[in-house]
Amino acid sequence: MDIAIEGLVKEYAGEGRGIRALDGVDLTIPAGTIFTLLGPSGCGKTTLLRCIVGLETPDAGEIRIGGEVVWSKRRGVAVPTEKRGLGMVFQTYAIWPHMSVFDNVGYPLQVRRRPRAEVRDAVARALARVRLEGFEARLATRLSGGQQQRVALARALVAEPRVILFDEPLSNLDAKLREETRKELKSFLGTLGITAVYVTHDRVEALALSDSIAVMQGGRIVEQGSPQKIYFEAGHRFVADFIGRANLVEATVRGHAGGRTQVECALGTLDCQRRDVAVGSTVTLCLRPEFIRPDLPFAGTDRNVVRGEVDSLTFVGEVFEAEIRVATERLLARVDPEARIAQGDRVSFTLAPEHCLLVAA
Amino acid sequence: MGNGRSTLAWLLIAVVGLLTICPVAMLALGSFSTGLTAFGSFTLAKYAAAYGDPALYGVVADTVGFVVGSSLLATVLALFFAYLSTRTDIPLKRLFAIVSLVPMMIPHLLFAVSWALLLNPSNGMLNLVLKDLFALDHAPFNIYSLPGMILVEGLLDMPIAYLIMAPAMASFDVSLEESSHVFGAGNLQTLARITLPVLRPAILAAFTLGVVRSLASFAVPSVIGMPGQVPVLATYIYQMIATGFATDYGKAAAVGMSVLVTSIVLIVVYRRLTAASEKFVTVSGRGYRPAQIALGRARGPLLAVVAAISLVMIVLPVLVLLYTSLVPYAMVPSRHAFAMMSLRHWREVLQDPVSLASLENSLFLGVAGATLGVVLSLFVAWVIVRVKTRAAGLLEGLSYLSFSFPGIVIGVGFMWFFVQTPLYATLTALLIGYIATYLPYGIRPLASAFIQIHTHLEESSRVCGAGTLVTLRRVVAPLLVPGIVSAWILMASMFVRELSLSVVLSRPGTEVLAVQILHFADDGLWGQLSALGMLMIAISTTLVVIAAAVGSRFRALAAQG
Amino acid sequence: MPRRFLAAAALALAATALTATAHADAGDLAKAKSEGKAVFYANITSVQPIMKAFTADTGVTGEYTRISSSKFVATLVTEADAGKLLADVVQAPLPVLELLRERGLLAKYRSPSAADYPAWTHPDDSIQLFGIEYVGLIYNRDLVKPADVPKRYEDLTDPKWNNKIVMANPANHPSTISWLVGLREHVFKSDADWMKFLKGLAANHPMFVASFGPTPAPIESGEKLIGISMPKYIVTQAPAPLDWARLDGEPLLGTPRAIAITAKAPHPAAARAFVDYWLGRKAMGMLAKDVGEYVATPGVYPPIPGIDHAKVIAVRELSDEEIRKWGAEFKDIFGVK
Repeated sequence: MDIAIEGLVKEYAGEGRGIRALDGVDLTIPAGTIFTLLGPSGCGKTTLLRCIVGLETPDAGEIRIGGEVVWSKRRGVAVPTEKRGLGMVFQTYAIWPHMSVFDNVGYPLQVRRRPRAEVRDAVARALARVRLEGFEARLATRLSGGQQQRVALARALVAEPRVILFDEPLSNLDAKLREETRKELKSFLGTLGITAVYVTHDRVEALALSDSIAVMQGGRIVEQGSPQKIYFEAGHRFVADFIGRANLVEATVRGHAGGRTQVECALGTLDCQRRDVAVGSTVTLCLRPEFIRPDLPFAGTDRNVVRGEVDSLTFVGEVFEAEIRVATERLLARVDPEARIAQGDRVSFTLAPEHCLLVAA
Repeated sequence: MGNGRSTLAWLLIAVVGLLTICPVAMLALGSFSTGLTAFGSFTLAKYAAAYGDPALYGVVADTVGFVVGSSLLATVLALFFAYLSTRTDIPLKRLFAIVSLVPMMIPHLLFAVSWALLLNPSNGMLNLVLKDLFALDHAPFNIYSLPGMILVEGLLDMPIAYLIMAPAMASFDVSLEESSHVFGAGNLQTLARITLPVLRPAILAAFTLGVVRSLASFAVPSVIGMPGQVPVLATYIYQMIATGFATDYGKAAAVGMSVLVTSIVLIVVYRRLTAASEKFVTVSGRGYRPAQIALGRARGPLLAVVAAISLVMIVLPVLVLLYTSLVPYAMVPSRHAFAMMSLRHWREVLQDPVSLASLENSLFLGVAGATLGVVLSLFVAWVIVRVKTRAAGLLEGLSYLSFSFPGIVIGVGFMWFFVQTPLYATLTALLIGYIATYLPYGIRPLASAFIQIHTHLEESSRVCGAGTLVTLRRVVAPLLVPGIVSAWILMASMFVRELSLSVVLSRPGTEVLAVQILHFADDGLWGQLSALGMLMIAISTTLVVIAAAVGSRFRALAAQG
Repeated sequence: MPRRFLAAAALALAATALTATAHADAGDLAKAKSEGKAVFYANITSVQPIMKAFTADTGVTGEYTRISSSKFVATLVTEADAGKLLADVVQAPLPVLELLRERGLLAKYRSPSAADYPAWTHPDDSIQLFGIEYVGLIYNRDLVKPADVPKRYEDLTDPKWNNKIVMANPANHPSTISWLVGLREHVFKSDADWMKFLKGLAANHPMFVASFGPTPAPIESGEKLIGISMPKYIVTQAPAPLDWARLDGEPLLGTPRAIAITAKAPHPAAARAFVDYWLGRKAMGMLAKDVGEYVATPGVYPPIPGIDHAKVIAVRELSDEEIRKWGAEFKDIFGVK
């Protein structure tokens, strides 16, 4: 079921003046996709989610879920949260501490006064899906963090909602569990095929889970697209910087040729991804560390070659992170741990034009 | 660390035990001794006399009605007030928060007398107004009845319930309710199935304290129950000892023992009931956000309801007191009465050296006693929550001992105890006695606070190092401060109007307010009594306002840091 | 206007007070002064002004501890048993002091100030009676027509007083029990007459309160019209519309007030000085004028019109056993629950 949002505005009374948490958001979330709202804290992503579910009341705009208007200023429609038929996994899981696992998961059906047998079967199915069979009688307070998270998921699924909303559901898990759960969630949502709206500030989570990502900043959606598009072809400096580690270098456009755009910057003259920008204008060149590889054998071409000196080397686990000084810039690069590179070495490397991303300055 | 903890537990058990067991033990001794003191040859005659009277069993039935009724009323009202003032956007909430504490600051005797002036069937002011308004030939209400007693005692116990439930509500994890809405439940369903059950430990704690307090209450049964011919255990005990001049407190203690046992059983049952739910982790760090429920169109009507309840039940009796302090004698309001108003009673009170000394002493006992009491309660509550051993259970049980004993008897127990020590007839004895008797008022709110902080402390001790200090300041302090404020307010206002112990232990130089008020009552000097009572309310209100202000200041500071 | 009374009393009685203190041996007073203070345990209204006058007139500090009647014996016996009896002088209803005397807690002393008191005030060598806690029929003079005011005790049984009477609980209030029994011994001629009175009174459904203290308020406010209460409230509650029923030939009854020195008084000379002062005309005058007490000092009366012509009798003190027995009877007769 798709979600359509038009001109959504939400203001909070701040100290002395209003703070715009949502500043005219337009968004369409296609049915059956895993859609992520990504952004730093305070960008409005959680507010947007809470407006969709009905826990916040917007000040202007319209929200439609599956064609049904659930909130509209203009039409004076405000469907209360409990009538929107959604499922949600909260950041804190919001597992009711005074209930058993069965009652927690069965609640959405119980409040709709479904027959006892139906509730029992549905709960059993939901628990089986999250691999918590046999936990029915367990008290909610006697669950581990990961188990609570799964109970929350089962509860969100049990009534087969039109849409499931996730509010940073993994942020309370420790690093290892978070990674496992993320993978589980991915395959799980894939098989389920329902619409999921997922809020996170964690770019890895967003990239790994989503069919589509909307990056938010200052109450607006800055950019939207597939994870690959957002990662490799971001149009905004903010997005490029936020979605992954990036070296940002100021550059001037010199021309367009052969499906490439040529720029001039501190690293020299470089062929980059094609962008329709006027010759002579200033842009930002975005270089991801994983594509700066001084440890690889030199490719032998003379285009896009950069020379520099290794300033520092830091071991961070799978790789070394190297800082390479090129003219006035310091570039972060990834170096294979087996590479024979030492601090102070002079190195040269080639930048693939398709990984030289140009974004608005 | 573990060793240090259990040492602390046993040390506290020794201190609290000494303070609370000694007077109760003296009373137990007295109930088995011939003669009028704690020490005599062994006898069971007092128990035979006390429990052999068939009238006792009718009294027990009325007592159960009184105690359960008033505790229910107190809990429900407090729940209503606390919910509106902590969780919704109702206007004037600060005002209502203070108003709901007022009954705690009024001497119970005075509060009961005001209600008698308002609702007595002959010329109670409210009754007269209602009679006029609806052209009735009978007064619609008779305060001298079991429902009347329940009403007044319920109102008197409401602030205790409020102070225990409000912090729990203020720190309620809102996402528990939000998730209920998301999964299809409306407001009422969410209240019934989520909010109230999650708050059950706090609600039960408030109800239990209410039961224990009303079991031991004397003022309402005496002022309202006696004319209404509704005897309860407290008045039964009083009649037993006050018939004749050689009052036998041993015999009273024999009846008191069953009140004590009942209270202890209640507390044990309460602990059982909440054993599982005390583990509720109702605050979760990052998700925590004190959201307020928008009342929308219900805002106006609810405000009117709350205002009406506060006006009729709390403000009106206080106005009656003010009025009584201004008219020369007990008068029904009339043009004549207003013409005769003067500050005479106020002048007399303010020129009376004993009244002034009692103001000073009570203020000192309120401030010093509450501060010391909160410090002791902090340790005890911490041990109760954190050290889940038998010792902790014992400690909590002990803290309720003297609290659960009928007020008119426990004072004598303290006298029998203190007379054996050099502290007899000193202000220190009063201070110690107050803290010992009212320890549960300090422990309850703080224990609730510690339960909530529990997990954060665990987390921080896992992360360890510099994180602990930050956690303490950012998480523990903001959560603990409301508990400390509640405990301090409860203790301070309780101490300012303490009577049971003071009436026995107060001597020249240690005069206190409630005793002075009792003497005015003995002499039928209601004007002076009301004037002093108003001063007492003013002192308590000032203390409460200061404590609340200091509390929110601290919270603000912690939040900034 | 208690303050003005006080000033008047002070002026008028200054001379007598001087003679009263002169009674005491000069050496004794010096000893009292060196002891520093006299500690007084009692339960009586407005003693502070007398304590102040005592301190001012003798140079011995008077310290007053007020102890409720129901805790009086318990407190005294507890302190005495622990060897910590702080009181030098005690004042209480006679039966209480007799209990203390039986336990050997009272010293023998006959104050020269009471030499001219009537004979009934000297029951033994230790205890001195100085007044009567007199009880009467107190009514609201604004609301009760003069013709309706009772002329005899039995008028209280008139059905016109149904639901209009307030009194202390006859099942357990010792003074009220003694008073009711006193009526049999001093007023009613036969048990049958007395019983008829009791049943008639009960049939009028009096409102019961815990003691005398709460009796005047309902009469003042008009909640009730008449009560079995104390005439002294006419003084202390002024200008309340209270008056007392002058009865035809029937006496006012009350329990005697008694004072004594404790056997092991920490300040024995100060104790004697205090008792002498207390029983003197100045202190007794203050008690009568300020708080309406009926005192034994010849010629000293409370400022209540007509009270100097009233016949006031101290009833026989009942033992605790008798009080309990009668309390139980009255409980039945009055249907007290």
